[in-house]
Amino acid sequence: MRFSVILRYIGAVMLCLSAFMAVSAGISLVSNDTGFYPLLLSALLTLLLGGFPMIFVPKADNITNKEGFMIVVGSWVLSCVVGMFPYLIWGGEFSLVNAWFESVSGFTTTGASILTNIEALPQGLLFWRSATCWIGGAGVVMFALLILPSLGTNKMALSSIELSSLAKDNYRYRTQMVVRILLAVYIGLTVVTTLLLKVSGMRWFDALNHAMSACATGGFSTKNASIGFYDSPLIEWTLIVAMFLSSLHFGLIFSTFTRKANNIFRSEVVRVYVGIIVAATLCIGASLYFADIYPNILTSLRQSVFQVVSLITTTGFATANTNLWTPFAIVILIILSIICGCAGSTAGGIKVDRVLLYGKVLKARLRGQQHPNAIIRIRLDGIVQEERQVNAVTLFLTTYFVLILVATLTSTLFGLDLLTAFSSSVTFIGNVGPGFGEAGSYDNYAMMPSLLKIQGSILMLMGRLEIFGFIQFLFIRMWR
Amino acid sequence: MKGIGKRTTIAFLSIVALLSVSGVISLFELSNLSYDTDAILSANTRDIGVARDLLRSAHDHSRAMIDVVVFDNESARESCNKALSELDSHIALLRDKASAVVQGSLDTLSIYSGELRHLADSYSSTERVVIDSLTVELRKIDGRKWYKERYQPAHNRLVEQVERYITLSHSELAPRAAQLSKNAYRSVAPVLISLLVMIAIVLMFYYFVYIYMVKPVLLINRSLSDYLSFKLPYKPKANMVDEIKELNDNIENLINISKSNKKQGGDAI
Repeated sequence: MRFSVILRYIGAVMLCLSAFMAVSAGISLVSNDTGFYPLLLSALLTLLLGGFPMIFVPKADNITNKEGFMIVVGSWVLSCVVGMFPYLIWGGEFSLVNAWFESVSGFTTTGASILTNIEALPQGLLFWRSATCWIGGAGVVMFALLILPSLGTNKMALSSIELSSLAKDNYRYRTQMVVRILLAVYIGLTVVTTLLLKVSGMRWFDALNHAMSACATGGFSTKNASIGFYDSPLIEWTLIVAMFLSSLHFGLIFSTFTRKANNIFRSEVVRVYVGIIVAATLCIGASLYFADIYPNILTSLRQSVFQVVSLITTTGFATANTNLWTPFAIVILIILSIICGCAGSTAGGIKVDRVLLYGKVLKARLRGQQHPNAIIRIRLDGIVQEERQVNAVTLFLTTYFVLILVATLTSTLFGLDLLTAFSSSVTFIGNVGPGFGEAGSYDNYAMMPSLLKIQGSILMLMGRLEIFGFIQFLFIRMWR
Repeated sequence: MKGIGKRTTIAFLSIVALLSVSGVISLFELSNLSYDTDAILSANTRDIGVARDLLRSAHDHSRAMIDVVVFDNESARESCNKALSELDSHIALLRDKASAVVQGSLDTLSIYSGELRHLADSYSSTERVVIDSLTVELRKIDGRKWYKERYQPAHNRLVEQVERYITLSHSELAPRAAQLSKNAYRSVAPVLISLLVMIAIVLMFYYFVYIYMVKPVLLINRSLSDYLSFKLPYKPKANMVDEIKELNDNIENLINISKSNKKQGGDAI
């Protein structure tokens, strides 16, 4: 493994971050706020840090899988470190732990915040917050579709589920081509969402921030009351569509627009995903209406669909205080926070693909008991799944729930109530954002002790790197 | 300048740039912090000084009034007027730099000061006439009574108001002091961050210089020594760039030429 080559490419990512910081500083300069100096200084320091390896290390012709993995994971961790700079220099509510939490939350597209008053932040910093989400979102897609599959079946079999049938199709393209396709989809989606939000009545600045956050399924808002501030059905529906599309396999979106055979409408995973959203919306809507929380069924459904899409896509925008909803609705929302979006998207969590595969495994096991001699094949989107992949999913799910339980246990040890502890653990590892109880949709994580914030940020990173990606990173020296 | 020289110069300039940036940041933050600290300390000192002057003027006025009303010392009237003028000028001085919060307290102070002036004036114009018609002994008793019943409560109110003003102005300094503490933290953050970045860059500089310059030269030297001593093949395995790569290629060429010359010499013999 060539450490210098890894440093060079991580440096390139740092330069990209520096550019975004410079843009944020420009916004601060125009709006004449206090964010200019912290952002400019951070941009300069990041520029030097990122540019330095390029002075010595020549461009590598080829990069090994291990190096590619290290570049992406290293970039992620270092981005979180560098992303803290503007927050730390600006001060305010950002202590060292708070700045780290906010930065990790942004780059992992979680969207959980420690800020009690978001609107007190200068515009430049607000933009930087949204930018961390957006950059993190781009990183997620690259990681899921390029790095994990390229690691080979033997070493990273646990992550091979990330590749749905279409991702395999996409992988026939040269890497650069795939990167271009993914970026085109990502940028296109962001631009269209920004325009639609502007047309729906948002200011340009807010529209851009919310579009970046929605397309990354991050959930950082520029308002304390999140999307509830606007109380506009048009804005809500625009964001619902943006969040939904961002939680689909990006290759599928591209295929749909280029009219290829494999598209959104033919994907079994997407069908199940839409089914879950519709069922959850109807159940929660009915529950809210019959509990007299909203005056009519339409308002109940409107609130329900926004919150369902927001949580299942792991975005975390809010239009209502979900703590006031019925326990039935809260349980469904927590389940959605565990399932989350599709593989190959910016969404985190277990992912529908794994849930669907796990369901099929259960069904196959049941059939196997009824017909011991039968050879039962498990298919996902028409592709036969190998035993190794099935085992990988089972192991992933087990580890996922064990981590949630351990995190809940430690959270309760530090004095959090059970609902807050459990929901925040689910929300961290799933990169969702808002939880329930003290960490509700209109609350924040400022009340958490520092150690729990650090635990939360580690969970976010683990969730983002598909758990085993993170573990692999820690034991990189043992990887041969 | 090209190759190694260029790379080293750029790296050196980057470190210089970072050092300069860090220096400027440190200076900027320290001067900001120093300015804030100075402002708070000056405000505190000024408030304490002026409050002390206010109390002193009030005390002088009280003493002068005792001279006038108890000891019938008319020459003390001048001190009395002087003390009142000083009191007013101190209040006016405080008003110049007072915030909206303490402005109300200063208004009350002005009212109490005016009350003292009114009392002193009324004593000279009205009460004195009454006193003059009485005996000297009675006049003394009345003077004391007047002082105790009319002047002293007003004087006490003024003194209490000065104390209230001091408390208020100090409590106003508390959030500024807290802000100063925050600013101190904020001032340290950029300096610390620059320092960390600088450490990272210096470590990278060492690493890259070692990997791309020192190590290849050492390997070339060792490989060349092995070739010359033991006739082992010359094949140094290192990351070589620029002039070091050229040097390696030139050595290889030289070895090849030397080999072919020997071969030709051997053939000729």
